[in-house]
Amino acid sequence: MRLLSKYNRSLLLISGLGLLLISGLFYFTFNYYLDRQIDQDLEEETLEVRHYAKNNIFYKANNFEDLIVQYKEVPSLNGQRKFGDTLFYNPIKKIKESGRYLSTDLSINGKNYRVWIIASKFNKNEQIKGIFLIIVLPVIFLLVIVLLINGVVMKRMWSPFRMLLTNIQKFNINHEHPFEPINTTITEFRQLNDAVLELAKKVKSDYSEVKLFTENASHEMMTPLAVINSKLDTMLQFNLSAEEQSEILVDLYRATAKLTKLNQSLLLLVKIDNSMPQPNVEIDIDQLINDKLEFFQELITSRKLNINTKLSQVKILGNSSLFEILTNNLLSNAIRHNVEGGVIKIELNDTELVFSNTGFGQPLDENLIFERFHKDPTSEGTGLGLAILKQVCAKMGYQLIYTFSNGLHHFKVILLSNLENK
Amino acid sequence: MKILIVEDEESLQRSLNSYLTAEGYTCSTANTYDSAKQKIALYEYDCILLDLNLPGGEGLELLRFLKKKDRTDGVIIISARNSLDHKIEGLSLGADDYLIKPFHLSELNARIASVIRRRSFEGRDYFSFNEIDVDLKGKQIKVKGQVVYFTKKEFDLLLYFMTNKNKAISKAAAVEHIWGDDADMADSFDFIYTHIKNIRKKLTDAGSNDYFQSIYGVGYKFVDQ
Repeated sequence: MRLLSKYNRSLLLISGLGLLLISGLFYFTFNYYLDRQIDQDLEEETLEVRHYAKNNIFYKANNFEDLIVQYKEVPSLNGQRKFGDTLFYNPIKKIKESGRYLSTDLSINGKNYRVWIIASKFNKNEQIKGIFLIIVLPVIFLLVIVLLINGVVMKRMWSPFRMLLTNIQKFNINHEHPFEPINTTITEFRQLNDAVLELAKKVKSDYSEVKLFTENASHEMMTPLAVINSKLDTMLQFNLSAEEQSEILVDLYRATAKLTKLNQSLLLLVKIDNSMPQPNVEIDIDQLINDKLEFFQELITSRKLNINTKLSQVKILGNSSLFEILTNNLLSNAIRHNVEGGVIKIELNDTELVFSNTGFGQPLDENLIFERFHKDPTSEGTGLGLAILKQVCAKMGYQLIYTFSNGLHHFKVILLSNLENK
Repeated sequence: MKILIVEDEESLQRSLNSYLTAEGYTCSTANTYDSAKQKIALYEYDCILLDLNLPGGEGLELLRFLKKKDRTDGVIIISARNSLDHKIEGLSLGADDYLIKPFHLSELNARIASVIRRRSFEGRDYFSFNEIDVDLKGKQIKVKGQVVYFTKKEFDLLLYFMTNKNKAISKAAAVEHIWGDDADMADSFDFIYTHIKNIRKKLTDAGSNDYFQSIYGVGYKFVDQ
């Protein structure tokens, strides 16, 4: 629920309840005082009735008095007087009305009577209604105005907040998009802004520290790796006497190569992030793909893969080394995760580049495959290939989409944004 | 042929030293910036292997020093930093090659040979080994005067083995020489087998001796029997 509607809701609820309570109180006190006033009139009327009764005359109220007097014979006088509310038939208006009565006992002509003097409350009620409306209507009107003003003012007051939110959403640690602070005179928002600014700075510096750490750690590992490699090469020069020894060497070479590759991939990931924008050059994509197919030829023939290409002549402007990494990774991924005798389809047109390959017959989890070090347990790779691919696409402004259909895994790179830039 | 090895990691330095000495080079070593500068100032070398991170100074400074003195020593930078900026800067300062750690000794040896070949005044584009003649410029190989056709990968591989003759070369080193470190070829050592097989066949078909020797699945050796 939005803050404003939440606020309005409680405002309406509280003011409604308050209004109800106050009008109730108001009504009752007002009623009370009016009743007292009527009672006083009735009192005076009684005096008149008594005065007439002394002369043995039944007093009848005048028409203009809006008042009736009723007599009823009673066996004895008990002298009590009683005020009360009642409904009575008004013979003048010929309707039933609410009224106030005063009953008292008296004797006329030696007979005992109970007398009710009843006064109509109709006029008084009208009076109450009038006064009530005069007070309550403006209050309601005021409330509506307050709500409207709230809507407008709050919207304006919260606009720095919305701007702040947009800026936070735009902030991206990878894309060198810094957090843009906002200008506001509202203290709370300024505090929020400063806090976010501080946080963004901290996150950024932490992130670059981690990157620097990765970079340094990987670099530091290269020299020991160079030592291992050179010692292995030296060892190879000895006359190996047994197959057992050579097997150990093969495994060591393999492990060292893998470690080196892992290190290089980590460095590459960091470098893609850090790389300065390079001058765009024209890249002949179909030519590049054909070169790569030639480059990977041994891998392709050894797995008996069928290559099926549908390449239009496409040239784009871009960072050529990044694009080479992109095609390298797409192709080696399609080869590596394929099955013996499988198929690789490569389609290229002005807007997109699609690599499709047979492989594991189930769709992969598209949220996981681009994660670093997420890989198939049977895979011999580093688990960084697709992460690098994703990073390169993000850096170059391409969209990378994975889909699975007809038993083929498709990796689609949408180049369109780049063409538009052109 | 004199080579100066400027490398602060002792054990790597020792490996380089013994491998290159066995190759017939005269090697001297330096493990700090100052000792390297001293040696460079005093002697001329055919090739200097230069590590960029040195105790006491930056390896690139030594390149600037060489350039200032108008020296023509060949220089191969060996660095753990695979950075394009460093590479460009190093090469523009007169380095002949840039080799990234870790590397194989046979690869280094091939690079040194190529640098020395390029630097030598004769500008030798040809070399021979028994009945095999190699034309480096035309990328052509003749056996007993007869041209034998090789693919680019096969040519590179054969040249690599011939440059490192009598040395055992691991499949890993051969893979890296052909595919570089761009491709993830760690599990592709066996493709070398196919290439070697083809090269052997083409050479023997043309009447050459079989100079390749297999070493228990670890690698191969090109030997002068």
